[in-house]
Amino acid sequence: MTTGSVEQSELTSLEPPVTSTLLLDWVSTLDHKRIGIMYILTAVFYLAIGGFEALLMRIQLAFPNNTFLSPEMFNQLFTMHGTTMVFLVGMPVLTGFANYFVPLMVGARDVAFPRLNAFGFWMLFFGGLLLHFSFLTGSAPNAGWFSYVPLSSKAYSSLQGVDYWIIGLLIMGIGTVSGAINILATIICLRAPGMSLQRVPLFVWMMLMQAILIILALPALNSALAMLLIDRWLGSAFFDPTRGGSAVLWQHYFWIFGHPEVYILILPGFGMISEVIPVFSRKPIYGYTFVAASSVAIVLLGYGVWAHHMFAVGLGMYADIFFAVGSLLIAIPTGIKVFNWTATLWGGEINFNTALHFAVAFLLQFVIGGLTGIMFAAVPIDWQLTDTYFVVAHFHYVLIGGLVFALFSATYYWFPKMSGRMLNERLGILQFWLWVLGFNMTFMVQHFLGMMGMPRRVYTYADNPGWALLNGIASLGAVFMAVGTLVFLWNIGASLLRGKIAGDNPWDAFTLEWATTSPPPPENFTVIPEIKSRRPVWDMNHPENADWKTEKTPADRGIRPNLAKLAAWAFIASEAVFFLLLLIAYVIFNTRSGEGAVTSSVLDVTRTGIFSLFLISSSVTFWIAERFLRAGKQSAFVFSLGLTILLGITFLAGQVWEYAGLLTNDITINTNLFSATFFTVTGFHGIHVTAGVIALFVMLMMGIKGNLTADKSHVFGAVGVYWHFVDVVWLAVFGIIYLGLLQ
Amino acid sequence: MSSYFDLTSGLWKWSSPVWLLVLSLVGLYIIFHHRALGKRIVFFAFAMFALALAYVSPIGVLSDGYLFSAHVIQHLILLLIVPLFLLLSLSESETEALFRHPFMNRLGSVMAVPFVGWLSGLGVMWFWHVPSFCNASTENYALGVFRDATFLLAGLAFWWPIFSPLKRFHLSSSLAVIYLFSACLGCTLLGIYITFTVISVCPAFANPVDRLGIMHFLYDQGMTPATDQRLGGLLMWVPPCSLYVCAIMVVLKRWYAEMDQLTSPQTAGTTSSLREAQS
Repeated sequence: MTTGSVEQSELTSLEPPVTSTLLLDWVSTLDHKRIGIMYILTAVFYLAIGGFEALLMRIQLAFPNNTFLSPEMFNQLFTMHGTTMVFLVGMPVLTGFANYFVPLMVGARDVAFPRLNAFGFWMLFFGGLLLHFSFLTGSAPNAGWFSYVPLSSKAYSSLQGVDYWIIGLLIMGIGTVSGAINILATIICLRAPGMSLQRVPLFVWMMLMQAILIILALPALNSALAMLLIDRWLGSAFFDPTRGGSAVLWQHYFWIFGHPEVYILILPGFGMISEVIPVFSRKPIYGYTFVAASSVAIVLLGYGVWAHHMFAVGLGMYADIFFAVGSLLIAIPTGIKVFNWTATLWGGEINFNTALHFAVAFLLQFVIGGLTGIMFAAVPIDWQLTDTYFVVAHFHYVLIGGLVFALFSATYYWFPKMSGRMLNERLGILQFWLWVLGFNMTFMVQHFLGMMGMPRRVYTYADNPGWALLNGIASLGAVFMAVGTLVFLWNIGASLLRGKIAGDNPWDAFTLEWATTSPPPPENFTVIPEIKSRRPVWDMNHPENADWKTEKTPADRGIRPNLAKLAAWAFIASEAVFFLLLLIAYVIFNTRSGEGAVTSSVLDVTRTGIFSLFLISSSVTFWIAERFLRAGKQSAFVFSLGLTILLGITFLAGQVWEYAGLLTNDITINTNLFSATFFTVTGFHGIHVTAGVIALFVMLMMGIKGNLTADKSHVFGAVGVYWHFVDVVWLAVFGIIYLGLLQ
Repeated sequence: MSSYFDLTSGLWKWSSPVWLLVLSLVGLYIIFHHRALGKRIVFFAFAMFALALAYVSPIGVLSDGYLFSAHVIQHLILLLIVPLFLLLSLSESETEALFRHPFMNRLGSVMAVPFVGWLSGLGVMWFWHVPSFCNASTENYALGVFRDATFLLAGLAFWWPIFSPLKRFHLSSSLAVIYLFSACLGCTLLGIYITFTVISVCPAFANPVDRLGIMHFLYDQGMTPATDQRLGGLLMWVPPCSLYVCAIMVVLKRWYAEMDQLTSPQTAGTTSSLREAQS
């Protein structure tokens, strides 16, 4: 064990970094830094595609009554632009930064699960390819990025575009959730000694909040996608009002995901800004505790305000009032952060470089986006402005004016660490002004166009007074941004080749990633500095002014939960939301009067009850097996586990029996809403039991071969978390569907 | 019927027996907490004010068979507001004296088990909104009193692991956040169910007996049974979650102020190689 501070010179490498490597090294890599870079490069690739789509739209809208694009093409472009920018640019680039920097900032060698990390990336990569493959079929998705039904139903979108959209998003969703579990586990379990959770850098804290949001919000989208897919492929009627379904339910489920998604995108931006501003103000952040705690409030409130996206639907006055108040409340923790960042700048020794330029622009532009967001919380304003360009202006001020500017800021700040070379400041400032001008030209005028009533998502517009001029300005602004992006890419390319050597800590920054070489070695650190405050590298380099001498922070108690179990709990939390929403759909559709001939009366409750006992018993035998494993009684363990598997299979056999009976009586998933919800809920549960049986079988084989012993019981315990969860879900399913509780 | 704020109207029930409970609690507080000062007295006064308001004001009168939404407000006051402020009104030293007794200490420990408090708080919420129980407790006075007592006791059990005056009964911060967040989820589900279901959750409120001749007044204000139930569901959902979020903020504030193990050399004062750290 090495103690004491580390000499800076020991860690400094002034040699130009080696950048060339084999393609195979990259595609097969498990290194979090390389995977992080691959995420970022993928995002940049799709940014080019999404940006190109935006440029095409702006060319179309540059003049009134333009015919550059057909209406069909315009629909496909705005759908793919939105989907690409949210799922293939925004989320991957943030995951990329998190992948690269979270392990470094918490002093870990890698993420918690490197293979899962690679899996997550490749799921995203191929999901994105699949989504874009739809262009080759001649029918890219064209129902908007939130694919409202009935437009996205088979009746109105009969080609394959929406199917590609659903499958692509489901695959990417799996990758995203696995990535979030990985980041969560890394932050909770792999922090270096001394780094209490109260001391983590704010970027790390924000990524923790983002991971929680992803884990709990994305399943809402997945459940909605699953139901839409079943509607489209198997003829059910979840979202078909003509057969008793509910189009509004899609909106609820989409926005239960969609609103937290806004925070999934912007919270990491907050984290980046919270790193950049203090370093270039030469001060610790003002009000760390508030910034961190308020992000928890944002996470919690973020789940409860989705319906403000639906004010125009007609939810009723009281629902509108409550969701309006909730939406206004969430502005408080978000808005006060702006004061924290401003107060950090106040009185600081400002180094007004490119990174800080972008950070300051973020502050100003995000405030504008936030204020228009507050305007939308007022229901009458929402009714007036919904589906106009005012909405487009609002969310682009949040996502470009906020997030993209934060990303540029972070890139100028962290590029030296990732590449070992500095970016060119002159080119950076040029890019900054091109972007500030271009962005505000494009989107500021859209506020006015929206107020004038110009509807979004319409491929052209009449030559109304002022519209042509404002749209012309908007389109010209897009060109500025495109040129700015080319300057940025040139800057990166040129700096990689000839940039000034950065050294380990060119900014005299504060957090752990600056305590290693630039770029960091595969193992990240040789030694890590002593962590006694929130700014360990500052403490190391400025021992006379060390933070811990003046500001007390809660010490690390050394609590690090078991990785496998934490991941299992995070996974089942995500799965629980998925099942919860399916069950809610069941309750909604089966408490209505006047359903068809098939009701829950066709189910044999007694028989299923008996088979349920087999499943519940399997939890008991699992528990016994776990005890035997811990006690080192291998043969008893194998026997109990075998019995568990047998009980699980018996339950599945019972389900097959039940399904066979229903199908022979012509009760299929498309018969009516009862059958649709019944087969969907029990079918997904059956798939989970099957997956559990396979996992148990793997454990059994390992046990028989002697590879699963008492010292690995926590791995078995993690599988147990999943198995018990499957049983608990069945109890809920049995209570609600078979016993008819809540009906 | 002039207004809800006309204290002489039939919407105010000044003869409510709740005064007996208020007086008893005030007496007990004076006996056991006679040295209480400042904000604790304010908290206690607020708890008593809320308790009286739940029965004496139009909330109490309308919840007696007229409006489901008023019933939900009363329920939330009894379950969440009164117990919370009662706990906040207790001082640590005088409560400690009470909980030195082994039985009380055992009781405190049992109530500090998160499952007990969570299940009590959420359990009564769900249980008393099963249509038959909700109906019966609205129509039967004695059962109604029993229900209200369970609200108060369950509320004390629910808040105990978070706001007990004795820190040894507090949950760890991470568990407390999960405890409160999952409680929010629980009442959200119930709120969504009540808001959007087409069945009458508490049929007693669907066809009220108009004892006070105020039905026209209520209907004129748009409080039809369906609207009333939707409002009740939203009240069940949003205010408790807002309260839980505030409680989470308090928990986080405590967490960031945990200085008891401050910079002790054995926990924070060593630098180690990463390999050693993670092995």
